[in-house]
Amino acid sequence: MKSQSAEKKYLPDMPQKEVEELNASVKAASERIMADNIERMKKTDPNRPAAMQYFDEVSNFFGMRQKEIQEAKAQGRKVIGYLCVFAPIELILAADAIPVRVNSGWYDTSKLGDRIVPVEVCPVIRSTIGAKMIDLSPYLELSDAVISTLTCDGQTKLSEILSDAKQMWIMTPPRVKDSAQSLHLWKEEIKAIKTQIEKLTGNKITPKKLKEAIETMQKATKAFRRLQDLRKGNPVIMGRDAMLVNQMSMWDDIKRWTKKTEALCDELEKRAEKNEWACPPDTPRVIVTGTPMFWPDNWKLPTLIEEATPQGILVGDELCSSDRVLYDPVGIDEWTMDDMINGIAERYLMASTCPCFTSKDGNEDRVNWLLNKVKDTKAQGVIYYVIRGCMLYAMEYSRVKKALDKVDIPVYYLDTEYTREDVGQMKTRVEAFLEMLSARVDF
Amino acid sequence: MYEALLGTIFAAIVAIGLALAGVLIITIWKKDRTRKLSYLRLFIQVVSLVGIFISFTMALWLVAFFLVIFAVTLFSGRFFCGWVCPFGFYMDLIAMLRKKLGIRYWTLSDRVNGALNRLRYVIAAAILVSPLLVGALTITPASQIQFLFLRGPYHSLNLFLSPLEPLIVPWTGALANLGFVDWSFSYPYTRDIVYYINIPVVTSVLIYIFIGLTLVSTFMYRRFWCRFCPTGITLAAANRFKAFKWAPVLHINKTEEKCTKCGICKRVCPVQVTEVYEQKGGDIKTSMCLNCMRCVEMCPYEDCLKVNLGGKTVFHSRNWLEPSNIE
Repeated sequence: MKSQSAEKKYLPDMPQKEVEELNASVKAASERIMADNIERMKKTDPNRPAAMQYFDEVSNFFGMRQKEIQEAKAQGRKVIGYLCVFAPIELILAADAIPVRVNSGWYDTSKLGDRIVPVEVCPVIRSTIGAKMIDLSPYLELSDAVISTLTCDGQTKLSEILSDAKQMWIMTPPRVKDSAQSLHLWKEEIKAIKTQIEKLTGNKITPKKLKEAIETMQKATKAFRRLQDLRKGNPVIMGRDAMLVNQMSMWDDIKRWTKKTEALCDELEKRAEKNEWACPPDTPRVIVTGTPMFWPDNWKLPTLIEEATPQGILVGDELCSSDRVLYDPVGIDEWTMDDMINGIAERYLMASTCPCFTSKDGNEDRVNWLLNKVKDTKAQGVIYYVIRGCMLYAMEYSRVKKALDKVDIPVYYLDTEYTREDVGQMKTRVEAFLEMLSARVDF
Repeated sequence: MYEALLGTIFAAIVAIGLALAGVLIITIWKKDRTRKLSYLRLFIQVVSLVGIFISFTMALWLVAFFLVIFAVTLFSGRFFCGWVCPFGFYMDLIAMLRKKLGIRYWTLSDRVNGALNRLRYVIAAAILVSPLLVGALTITPASQIQFLFLRGPYHSLNLFLSPLEPLIVPWTGALANLGFVDWSFSYPYTRDIVYYINIPVVTSVLIYIFIGLTLVSTFMYRRFWCRFCPTGITLAAANRFKAFKWAPVLHINKTEEKCTKCGICKRVCPVQVTEVYEQKGGDIKTSMCLNCMRCVEMCPYEDCLKVNLGGKTVFHSRNWLEPSNIE
């Protein structure tokens, strides 16, 4: 690991006292917000599934999961953070390391990030920098190395900035998917990361271990898809709850997460049989797409949608922080090392619907994904969520709108920031959209 | 001597077939969802091997068999290559051995594969025509009967059937070579050459080179011979008609919206067909496909790939995510 005393290129030398003070205050605020979020989720659905109790516990950043990772680390296991869903989780699991996503969803820390990068930069990036400055995120602090994928300009420089404090492993995804050379490049990246992981953990990734890891993830995908399938019918679970479950898969122990999610699905199935719905079945069904949203602070939009009058329900999303995380499995034909590496490379590159890609036929994958999702979940409207500074998503809007107009699904472009100040204004906008949706239903 | 030997082989094959049927039953019982169709295919391959073996010595049966296959191929594609052909079965067995050894196959680069796709009709035509040209030079009035049964120099005319012949390819080929018995039992392509170049040393070398090459190439590349097999190409040419609307019998159908382009279908295809991956929805138009349906079996998205038979879906891709415990 890089020694802390080395000269810092970006991060300022803040006095220890200031760091501690800021950490304490943001942490206290964050704990309050997490509790408040969960309280509000309980209020929205008074009949909330009992299995959600577990996910509430895991969702606490400063709670049991942090302790677990600390204990595992004390026993010599390594923790590998990742900033993007391009990171090959299977390889991390195969080396007996713990994968955790380290993107930040704290609003307060984005203001700290302003000290280093201008405000025009995407708040997810600024917030992650800020979290590092005051050592807030327990997962980022605990990780021995961080895998960063250069998907957008923000991520590119973020990995440079974080390298002041952490060992960064950088992967370059090609910007074009459908050519032989880009797949080749990506395969080499995956192989390089594999070597890095082996070197850090000291565990060799054998075909047997890798197969086990792939199958673990396949089981997780199965549970994940089961939950998404349940959301397609009448509302058995509020969208925020499902989103929380999806997001916890990136922080929790994946085997335990799978078990708990299956238990949740069992419970939901029983409810559906008894016709017990989380909200009235004629509630307008909404899909959110765009910039990723991270627990705990950036829970603004889903909360607004589901607490609005008229109420809406999130039946799905196209976010790399939620519905996209586990949707695609690694499919292997022959369980040889080479084929497994190929399978992993293809799953992370080709199946991705990240807007960072372009292609000669206009990058249809994301649009197709969205159209399929709209059809599957019988969604009545799409909210296109963009935080200021997120160029790639903002620029794809008109293309997505055109495609959705064709199938007569209204889209609403909602731009915001990492701040609580515009909640009132956003509420008006979201409620107007939902009212329009329910009016369409009435016709 | 022959009958006794064939009888032994036949018994052995039946035994193997029964054992494989047992494997199939156990597999289905274990609910390995990504391999059900593959094992069914294996079973059918064994059954057809036995069936062909019985009808093997009867030329008229072979002709009838060929006509049926040709007619069905016109409407449904090269199912023969994937499900019936004994030589294909032999290649699948080699692939299984390779899997057991944990060695990965090689793939032809896109450029070579593309070139092969354009050239394979030329290659097939060359293989088909060259024995005929040589044969035409040696016609005698006495060979009229031979002509009738596609025997002797006219044997090359039943090249359509040639993969049916070498049931246990290297073995019968080698046996015929060593014993200098009836050429019609040896390996067809070499046999045609051998028939005219009747120098023992040359023939044995040629035969062993051919057998060695097919064995090694199949070990390295999946279903290598299928990519320019004259029988396969003949069937592929017939299969081209399938693209017409008036014969919509068997198609692989793709739903573009459900596809996330994960590339699994492209990777698992034993003959590197890229159309399933590249085509934007609708019926897949390719003449190379062996109809082994491995892509449909492995596609992890519910209903994305479908096998339509006469407008009805008989098999579709499923959310198969129950990891296999076999292999």
